[in-house]
Amino acid sequence: MNSVLVRPERCIGCRHCEVACALEHSQSKTLLGMITEMPRSAPRIFVETGISFLTFPNRCQHCDPAPCMQVCPTKAIYREEETGAVLVNEEKCIACGGCAMACPFGIIQFRFQPVVDREVNTKCDFCIERQKAGNIPACVEACKTGALEFGDMNTLVRQNRKDFSLRFLKSKGPEVEAVKVPENILAFRKIMEEVANIGPFKGE
Amino acid sequence: MIMYMDPESLKKEVERRALDKTDQEIVEKALVEGVETAWDRLEKQQPQCGFGQLGLCCNRCVMGPCRIDPFGGEPKRGVCGATADLIAARNLLDDLMVGAAAHSDHGREVLEVLMETAEGKGQGYQILDEEKLNLVAGEYDIDVKGKKKEAIARELALAMLEEFGTLKNKIQLVERAPEKTKEMWAKAGIVPRSVDREIVEAAHRIHMGVGADYINILLHALRTSLSDGWGGSMMATEASDILFGTPVPVEALANLGVLKKDEVNIVLHGHNPILSEMIVQASYDADLKKSAKKKGAKGINLVGMCCTGNELLMRHGIPLAGNELDQELAIATGAVETMVIDYQCIFPSITETAKCYHTKVISTSEKSKVPGATHIEFKPETALDSAKEIIRQAIENYPNRDANRVKIPAGPVKMVAGFSEETIRKALGGTYKPLIDAIVAGSIRGAVGIVGCNNPKIKQDYGHIMLGKELIKRDILVVETGCAAIASGKAGLLLPEAAEMAGEGLKAVCKALGVPPVLHMGSCVDCSRILMLAANIAKELNVGIEDLPLGGAAPEWYSQKAVSIGAYFVASGVYTVLGLPPKVFGSVNVLDLLANKLDGVVNAAFAVEPDPVKAADLLEAVIEKKRKGLGI
Ligand code: SF4
Ligand code: SF4
Ligand code: SF4
Repeated sequence: MNSVLVRPERCIGCRHCEVACALEHSQSKTLLGMITEMPRSAPRIFVETGISFLTFPNRCQHCDPAPCMQVCPTKAIYREEETGAVLVNEEKCIACGGCAMACPFGIIQFRFQPVVDREVNTKCDFCIERQKAGNIPACVEACKTGALEFGDMNTLVRQNRKDFSLRFLKSKGPEVEAVKVPENILAFRKIMEEVANIGPFKGE
Repeated sequence: MIMYMDPESLKKEVERRALDKTDQEIVEKALVEGVETAWDRLEKQQPQCGFGQLGLCCNRCVMGPCRIDPFGGEPKRGVCGATADLIAARNLLDDLMVGAAAHSDHGREVLEVLMETAEGKGQGYQILDEEKLNLVAGEYDIDVKGKKKEAIARELALAMLEEFGTLKNKIQLVERAPEKTKEMWAKAGIVPRSVDREIVEAAHRIHMGVGADYINILLHALRTSLSDGWGGSMMATEASDILFGTPVPVEALANLGVLKKDEVNIVLHGHNPILSEMIVQASYDADLKKSAKKKGAKGINLVGMCCTGNELLMRHGIPLAGNELDQELAIATGAVETMVIDYQCIFPSITETAKCYHTKVISTSEKSKVPGATHIEFKPETALDSAKEIIRQAIENYPNRDANRVKIPAGPVKMVAGFSEETIRKALGGTYKPLIDAIVAGSIRGAVGIVGCNNPKIKQDYGHIMLGKELIKRDILVVETGCAAIASGKAGLLLPEAAEMAGEGLKAVCKALGVPPVLHMGSCVDCSRILMLAANIAKELNVGIEDLPLGGAAPEWYSQKAVSIGAYFVASGVYTVLGLPPKVFGSVNVLDLLANKLDGVVNAAFAVEPDPVKAADLLEAVIEKKRKGLGI
């Protein structure tokens, strides 16, 4: 089964994924068309700032079993077997918010959908249309830094495993992982951590 | 807008935003009243794009916009083929030239007023500093003998304005630099040729396909910055001094507490003093005072903000309400009738802030109109009339103030400002010898110019104040301009008594001279005064500026103007520490050039260090290194 693996150390907070997601789920699927549409299309992936100005792209993980699906009282949430995507049947959704309470990632949003003329669960649909047409999800395609990777989870994770083994064999701590992140970017992040420490973005 | 439930987190947030207690009071008021400020907008902007922060986004043409993968993967080049190095270098030059243009265009306007004044067309203006007029005219080879001051001023204004163009290809004031420093510039090929030429050429050079060598682009950036520091900015300073007087030490008050409960409060905000000087004159008008009384006010209270404030402080002791992040806070006191703006660093949303209260914003420059502001255009020939009209409108607005929503922090802080280069030199007895002796003896290790803005990413004033205190503790004299100087005013560092906070050596020197350990040298364009101070000391010692135990710092910078100032400090041989990273970290080569290789070209480089104590360590190390170089 294909999934999206997030590599947070590579996310630089450009929000390109958010724009690509909104675009994919707009009516016209063009940038100029999208900005005049009502209701305005909105992203289903969320790039959040954590401590020290570091960012994390948060999206639906299409869990299995999916807590949102398990708690939905009207069975509005279902699994598309071929891709494993967790999808919403808008007709059945009663916008009770149960799924949002259950979702461990907190990514469920309720938005107005013209087809049902009310606000319903408008979560990530794993770009099901794109996948059926043989394309990768829009957010992954948009990410120019490799923070979002699409593919077989076991294969994607293998890289992390290799990194760990390398560190272990070299008997080095987590700083070896830094090899993946260039020195200049590490220097930048170090500075921004200091900036955060003397400003309103100081973590708790 | 973040709404705070409990007093505990409200207090925490307030303390995170501003260092100064009086600022904190109004930060809190703004939060409670739901008035949006830059801090809120910064929060809403999170996360901010990493491509932009790293300088790896190029938005110059419509083959693009393009961005480079900062982790070394694809894409490695823009559509045109530009690399990370080129894109970062072009972006930096872009920022820098905008800053140089802002300073220089300000200078041009002062020169135009000088010209009109000389021709008798300016309303209310006079040539106040004849001594300086004659001195500068002498530098320009203008024969002053037997000529009226107006005639000399006209010739001088023309001669300076000519240097904005390309006919002459030389800036006279550059000659003020020490010989050795000039030779260094000539060797590097960065002697500025004219004020506008370098800026226009910079705009040309960042077009697609005009060179791909990042080093060549950065060298031009240095040249452009020099055309600002030793050109446009220096002309702004000199022409302002000639028109309005060269500053001498003056006592005044600072922080939001300078607003008055029972007077018509007018905040003068921006950078160029040409109109606000007339507002100061107009405020003495007996009729206006009378009409203020008629509206129930005890008087007319002019206060300054940002560099317009610094200019008026230096020459008239007009109190300072605050620096960049105070512009919204001043309005949020609920006590401001009118905020008069000229240009630069004025938040585009300032009229929205004003709408939350009775405050009226009056724009005065044709270049700088803001939706929602009343526009009273400044023209030299009607300047005094406009100034009176502005005050009249402020008086009219006084009865609209809602006393229930007013909160003015108590206790403005005293400060001494007005330390122009001439004043410092005269105070020392006409030569820098006493200062040089103190430096040679080691009681003063060196000097650092702390300059630049506020930036909501750093607690307001924290960077300036912590670094300033740290340096004086280490017997390093601090000279300041711009928002940094205002921060020190609020914090009480601009008082002779502050010498108590200095190390033994500096303390003794300050006490002997009766001066503060931190000297307010003026507005941002007055960073040229810092250059002159350095140049004159170097000349007395027969060395270059690059040999002196000096440093520069911009702990809370935000603006393109700061990029230009930082660059002309470094290009003039002054090692400079920035408190926030410039947008170049995506390019290893550009970083290396700015942080290391420049040292071999101008004997100075940039460093980035937000932590004030670590920044002081860096500056101290360079000062000690340069002392060693001088054999002291
Ligand atoms: S919405 Fe949340 S719970 Fe449901 S599949 Fe996605 S991540 Fe899992
Ligand atoms: S596109 Fe990639 S780098 Fe940009 S915000 Fe999204 S995940 Fe992060
Ligand atoms: S100039 Fe080059 S890098 Fe910049 S937007 Fe155009 S094609 Fe892209």
